[in-house]
Amino acid sequence: MTALLEVSGLRTCFKLESGGEFAAVDGVSFSVDAGRTLGIVGESGCGKSVTSLSVMGLLPKGQGRIAAGSIRFEGTDLATLTPAEMRALRGNRIAMIFQEPMTSLNPAFSIGDQLIEGIRCHRDLSHEQARAHAIEMLRRVRIPSPEQRIDEYPHKLSGGMRQRVMIAMALSCEPRLLIADEPTTALDVTIQAQVLDLMRTLRGETGTAIILITHDLGVIAELADEVVVMYAGLIVERASVERLFAFPQHPYTIGLLGSIPKLHLVQDRLHAIDGQVPTPMSVVPGCRFAPRCPFAIDRCLQAAPVLLDLGDGHQAACWRAPLDAGLGLVR
Amino acid sequence: MSPLLRVENLVKHFPIRRYLFGRQTAVVHAVDGLNFELGAGETMALVGESGCGKSTVGRLVLRLLDATAGKVWFDGEDLMALAPDRMRAKRRELQMIFQDPYSSLNPRMTVAQTLTEPLVLHGLASGRQRERAAELLDLVGLAPQYLQRYPHEFSGGQRQRIGIARALAVEPRLIVCDEPVSALDVSIQAQVVNLLRDLQQRLGLAYIFIAHDLAVVKHIASHVAVMYLGQIVEYAEKRSLFAEPRHPYTQALLSAIPTPDPGIKRERVLLHGDVPSPIDPPSGCRFRTRCPHVREKCAQEVPDLKALAGHSVACHFWHEIVPPAGLVVAKAEVNERLVRLQAAFR
Repeated sequence: MTALLEVSGLRTCFKLESGGEFAAVDGVSFSVDAGRTLGIVGESGCGKSVTSLSVMGLLPKGQGRIAAGSIRFEGTDLATLTPAEMRALRGNRIAMIFQEPMTSLNPAFSIGDQLIEGIRCHRDLSHEQARAHAIEMLRRVRIPSPEQRIDEYPHKLSGGMRQRVMIAMALSCEPRLLIADEPTTALDVTIQAQVLDLMRTLRGETGTAIILITHDLGVIAELADEVVVMYAGLIVERASVERLFAFPQHPYTIGLLGSIPKLHLVQDRLHAIDGQVPTPMSVVPGCRFAPRCPFAIDRCLQAAPVLLDLGDGHQAACWRAPLDAGLGLVR
Repeated sequence: MSPLLRVENLVKHFPIRRYLFGRQTAVVHAVDGLNFELGAGETMALVGESGCGKSTVGRLVLRLLDATAGKVWFDGEDLMALAPDRMRAKRRELQMIFQDPYSSLNPRMTVAQTLTEPLVLHGLASGRQRERAAELLDLVGLAPQYLQRYPHEFSGGQRQRIGIARALAVEPRLIVCDEPVSALDVSIQAQVVNLLRDLQQRLGLAYIFIAHDLAVVKHIASHVAVMYLGQIVEYAEKRSLFAEPRHPYTQALLSAIPTPDPGIKRERVLLHGDVPSPIDPPSGCRFRTRCPHVREKCAQEVPDLKALAGHSVACHFWHEIVPPAGLVVAKAEVNERLVRLQAAFR
């Protein structure tokens, strides 16, 4: 069976003001099966959002371009599609929700207008039918009294409500793949819990595959089946969610898990990762994490490691993987 | 011994007018009757969601906003009664760290200028201000050669360190930290939290730590006040609050935090709806519109913050409410391997 989405060797470059280019995403491969949820986690500037924009064909024109690699959705290479064909796919078979529910709705139109426009773009429905469908979608995302709410403007809704409207809009054409880029980051925790619960329920009902992009490992643990950890434009680790949290292999993942304050543990100090994420301009020849890595050896500074299979679908891009053997943790 | 800071019945109402000079038509109840104390060297965390009034409290304590009513005693002196110039001089002892490291530094000033300005204003370290600025940078873990640089040359985490150095320049006794780490990446967040803790131990600072993230608060606070719609609903020593959260809102907040451990299974309290508007807060208990345990009495009577052995809660029925299963994990399983590996990081 072929995967629903297959990204291989994706390299996305952006123009520099000084001329020249830099690769925000530098050779990334992953796949998503129908009905599964893939989490992409990493800190600012690791390339997770650029990856999703590349898949959606939404890179800013004239600034960003896909320099290498392929993106296949349901077997079709998206690079071969015309802009019109891509438009027919986007919002229909592939949908996206963004981080900022405040800025991703148009303040000049009622939420009904915006929902109906999307539905009628992709479905041959009359205005009345589309409106009925829109109300039904609002009901499914648990918006109270949707018959009245549909005629309201975005400024009347709270942040959580707007994100629900975004989800309703994204799911209105029953997409096969939903890309959610930091869907709950701008929300308060109790509202975040509501939205995550909603996404979980809707996923069960529709069987939509999800790519969940976030910096929050807690959100990943709640929703993802499989996880890809990105650092400085590369995938450094890939595993099932259970394995990633129980048995992380890449030092970056280990450090990231250590730097989160835990509710259930008494900790004296957090294990901060020294230094900062490298800028794309300052990429070193060896492993990009080596300057911050406490386990780095000479080899790490000289050559970039590739993703190494560790069994059970677990992969890590680290010269010292499996870390345990090198550190005497395994007898 | 009297505490360093005592806040009594602090109230802030923002008037709403239809036109610029029009009649006042309504009032935003941003902070409504707050009481708390803070000792020297302690950290009191104010937690709550957007709009609960936690940032307003921080600004009221420093008198960056004028309170509608109430008193703020700092070291035995009522700050609200001070004349403006006395207050300005007093701010040497009360400083602030802001949330956004991108907008809280002047882009036209070098780090040296940013750090020496408070010294000049308060007439400190005259003659050796450059050395003092270099010392301050060292204190927050930045190299002294950064003195000549401008804010745009730094990352978010480094800027936050500069903001901390600026607050420390005048050797304050109390620092109001308004969401100091929420704009930072996780790995950088841990660096800054560790730095704030180290500085507190070295310099005996008291913090008012304003945050929405209970996990960070658990790490840094000695006392926690949970706020909802301008009022404190629960106040306790940290250990007691996390071991036995009593207010249904605190329980909901705790259960809503996604845990980075798929092995921990918890019953989740899902709150319905949104926070009501502070312009027209609900009668009685302000949390009643979202509370899963609401009864008739909640709409009629305002619950007082009842002090019970250092753990106060403002709920009529707190002693009858059973916290959801798994909310407090007494002993989480420790991943020995991970602990050993993480020890390699500082």
